[in-house]
Amino acid sequence: MPEPHRPSDRTAADRQADHAGLARLSETLVPALVSKLNGSGLGELEVREGDWKVRLRRAPGAPVPGRRERSRAAAHAPAHAPGRPIGASAPTPAEPRDSHRVSALSPAVGVFRSIAAVGTRVRSGDRIAVVDLLGIPQDVPAPIDGILVQVFVETGQAVEYGEEVAAVAEPVEVASDAADADGEDPA
Amino acid sequence: MITRVLIANRGEIALRILRACRTLGIEAVVAYSEADRESLPVMLADEAICIGPADARRSYLSAPAIISAAMVTGCDAIHPGYGFLSEDDAFADAVRAHGLTFIGPSAHVLERFASKEETRRLLSAHGLPTIPGSGLLVDEQQALDEAGRIGYPVLLKPSAGGGGKGMRMVRSPRELAAVLPICRSEAKAAFGDDSLYLEKWLEENRHVEIQVAVDRFGHGVHLWERDCSVQRRHQKILEESPSPAMTPAGRRELAERAIKAAVAAGYENVGTLEFLVDADGNAYFIEINCRIQVEHPVTEMLTGIDMVAMQIRIAAGEPLGLNQADVPQRGHAIEFRINAEDAAHEFRPGAGTIERFNAPGGPGVRFDSHAYAGYEVPPYYDSLLGKLVVWGSTREAAIARGRAALAELVVEGVVVNTPIHRALLDSEPFLEGRFTTNLLDRVGSAAFLAAAERKA
Repeated sequence: MPEPHRPSDRTAADRQADHAGLARLSETLVPALVSKLNGSGLGELEVREGDWKVRLRRAPGAPVPGRRERSRAAAHAPAHAPGRPIGASAPTPAEPRDSHRVSALSPAVGVFRSIAAVGTRVRSGDRIAVVDLLGIPQDVPAPIDGILVQVFVETGQAVEYGEEVAAVAEPVEVASDAADADGEDPA
Repeated sequence: MITRVLIANRGEIALRILRACRTLGIEAVVAYSEADRESLPVMLADEAICIGPADARRSYLSAPAIISAAMVTGCDAIHPGYGFLSEDDAFADAVRAHGLTFIGPSAHVLERFASKEETRRLLSAHGLPTIPGSGLLVDEQQALDEAGRIGYPVLLKPSAGGGGKGMRMVRSPRELAAVLPICRSEAKAAFGDDSLYLEKWLEENRHVEIQVAVDRFGHGVHLWERDCSVQRRHQKILEESPSPAMTPAGRRELAERAIKAAVAAGYENVGTLEFLVDADGNAYFIEINCRIQVEHPVTEMLTGIDMVAMQIRIAAGEPLGLNQADVPQRGHAIEFRINAEDAAHEFRPGAGTIERFNAPGGPGVRFDSHAYAGYEVPPYYDSLLGKLVVWGSTREAAIARGRAALAELVVEGVVVNTPIHRALLDSEPFLEGRFTTNLLDRVGSAAFLAAAERKA
């Protein structure tokens, strides 16, 4: 199967087209997308066209709640919302979480859909699940490079914003395949 | 029929809506941002759902997040409260398109009253006197011509929104030309709409508003007036009813004209028609608010009617179930807005943790607040922390209860504006019932406070 374009095997014409494409992207498409993103309630917007893919994600400040904030939420959730169906499977922090394990958080309030299977090796930012916000899928990105070790929510279940939906663990150093993971591109 | 409501707001009004739902036997789900996780409505709700981060644009102002939250929690209606999306016709329409009930006027009604300038023309056609003013301003020259025709001073106002943003009083053509672009950009930033218009500025005026309620069948009643003349930079600080500026006959006439015009113009659900009343007692219609208002408890104290419950029932398609004769105006009520702001320092908004807290009580005293000891006031939203509402059989009795209640109010850790309320209750213009909307700004809040302290 042919690889996607690599800089080395591209012609001058290709590069010319790239420059034109880039100019168009930066001058028209990106500003239009930025205003669209700002006008929407969405956290992220992705557009694909030909070989190009543009993904805009909202600047920090607000999103990606830290772990500290989250654990506070988890501690309060049962008290605030007894018997709520939402997040019924949200992790009560029964398992001690070590520093090698990071939770992936829901980017929106909506319906959860699992994509990557438990055991999958993921890279930070990879889409491991989506949350449907009125039919528009919002990516749940992997928080770190590692292995998807747990998905807390079943497909079809409702989740709230910032809810822990999955956990990714760093590969354990002592394992024999850990060296491989560091060395080669998993592709 | 409404069985389960998503409350898409925060603070004291989220709690107020929760209480109304419980009274009606309706389930309620509180939608909250991450900054409000520890708030009282979230803690007291049967169910709560986080809809987004602290940034309101991604939580309380995000139509997709709110509608999605309502759908996944099985709600059949959304209550928008005040501010945020409460008067947004596109939101109301989206709510309806998802098979949910918007608790407020329907989208086409909101749309009809969205432009202040057009609303003025519409209600003027239905018999309400309006203040001399202009149409929407196209350019500087036209603005100058219009202002010349109306006569200075004039008030430059944005056609969308409220709360005093983008609003300026100007006394000369030069001043008008200077502030025109500033107001345009302020209006654009605050409401996403930079259309402006002019109104004649009444030097000494009172702000009197008439509360109305109209059901889906075009049956409406008024719930008398509220006087909101105590303002600072067009922001209401204290509201009362009846208005000390109006005679019984005058208020009855204004209220009757208001409800007649609102029904004729096709208004629906609860709403407020705002008027400016000049020194001679002439009332001019200025705008209509298509939502429950902050100061609605004043009316509840006088009429005994739960206005939020009424709003929900009207949205559910129920008939009003009462006639004008069923709406009494009993005694006198005053509401003090308790804001987390420093009256001594230009009303700088404050945030932080409330260390000690005591809500006033006793006969005729109501305190609507989401505050409690240990509550951390987030810096992201407006500064309203609570509303102290007092009732007495006469204005004097209400003022006496107000003094006693303000003395009981304890908020430590966060600066609140109680000094301005104490000063008001000691000021002659207020006690004599002749406060006007520009008095506080003219005297200066600092000078006003200092004068009260000297007297004490």
